Amino acid sequence: MYKIMMFEGGVYKFNELKELIEDIGGFILQESVMQSETMLHIAFPEEEERTIRDKIKELGGKFTKLPLAGAEIIIVAPSLGKHHAVNPMCDIAEFLRREGAITNMMGLARGVGKRIAQITAEEKKIIDEFDAAVFVFGDFKECIEEKKKLCETIETPYLMVGGPPNLELAHYVGGIGRKTDRMRRKGEIDTLKTMTAKLGEILDEKRLEIEEDPLAASPPFIEEMIEMFIPPKAGEELPVIIQLDGLRINIEEEDVGEIKDVEVGKKKLSEICEIKKSLFKGHLLKIKTEAEVGGIY
Amino acid sequence: MEAKVEGGGDFANASYTTICQDTFRDLGVRASIDRVYLYVDPKDHVFIISVKIGRVTSPVKVDDVTRQETQERYRITNENYAPKLLALLGDKYGERAQQLSRLEISLTLDEKEIDAFKALIVYDPREDLVTRILDGMDRILPEGARVRCPISLPDSLALIASENSITEEWKKKAEEIMRMQEEVSEDV
Repeated sequence: MYKIMMFEGGVYKFNELKELIEDIGGFILQESVMQSETMLHIAFPEEEERTIRDKIKELGGKFTKLPLAGAEIIIVAPSLGKHHAVNPMCDIAEFLRREGAITNMMGLARGVGKRIAQITAEEKKIIDEFDAAVFVFGDFKECIEEKKKLCETIETPYLMVGGPPNLELAHYVGGIGRKTDRMRRKGEIDTLKTMTAKLGEILDEKRLEIEEDPLAASPPFIEEMIEMFIPPKAGEELPVIIQLDGLRINIEEEDVGEIKDVEVGKKKLSEICEIKKSLFKGHLLKIKTEAEVGGIY
Repeated sequence: MEAKVEGGGDFANASYTTICQDTFRDLGVRASIDRVYLYVDPKDHVFIISVKIGRVTSPVKVDDVTRQETQERYRITNENYAPKLLALLGDKYGERAQQLSRLEISLTLDEKEIDAFKALIVYDPREDLVTRILDGMDRILPEGARVRCPISLPDSLALIASENSITEEWKKKAEEIMRMQEEVSEDV
């Protein structure tokens, strides 16, 4: 199982760290060099953490955990109207990104109100494409209790956030609700931290499930194979997004056919993955389990 | 502007008080409103917002938003009013008024005309005050409460909103709230 962490530091002997990551069989998921500052999102085998920590100690720099890394999360609001967007949706999304998640936003077509709130079958399918969903609700206890029913129909793990702080609901974090400005006060930031921690727990459960029945190949490994085979084109932003049990590939239509023939170990991608068009964006690769397709070597 | 919210629980009341304050401030009508009262009943999904209109700010005149630079040149000092000012000058002086650059206007006036020019009203907040207050109410009330029933008096407005049909009982409640608001202002 891979562990994903973030390195922040200077450029001094930076290449040595990158080489070490490659040597131990790790991957660089994201790299950003700003003048003399560098930031790396690294995926590496859990048992090699000590080796990396020792190297970072030698170089100097910060090494932090990213509890939501490797997960693609969707933030769902009852609508994209001025009542729900941009606050607090954007604050929530930003906070999730800081913890390593890739985020997307979605407004339901008929999600507003209490009795009249609905979720369509297509919306459910879109939400189920993601590793987790965060539903952003308002200030009223009665409405949240009613809208809870919408979330229960979702298969993917979810978290509800809303206003009333002490609601006895599962997967719920209070203290957010409707906002007219940014969540930048200390109390609000603490609430966002609680939300992230709770979402981290939910994702850990999903990670554990995956670990019990391991995938044929890990998503970062497949990402690297895809990028070796079809290099990202100029202007293509995040062409391959890793999820906990698969990948989302946002590549041009003409390259989709080639994807199936990408070699992952001794197998082809089409043998170890279920490839389907996403209802949201690009194509989805769901990696089959090792028990289903056997090892790739 | 004083805002009061009742009926939604501690968190919702505090949150909606801030929403009322911020929304009317964003729309620039906060100074023209005396009081806002919001009654919420999340169980029946009924929301009543009542606004007591107070003193309206004085009209904006040409002299407030321009500065004379030379005999025939004026500079716009507040760009927010530029579109309204240019439209007004176009109507009033036709081709005599020319926009030279983003903030420069050329206009040749006689001695007699200058005073009248400076006193021209560019924007009167009274014109669209009610529209802006109604816009604010729409932004405050929950999006799902789409059945609306407005009640208006000379200097106060109320809006009942729900996702269900609005009964007579709620209309009476709204009128009662408006009466209460009036009484408070008389006491003050």
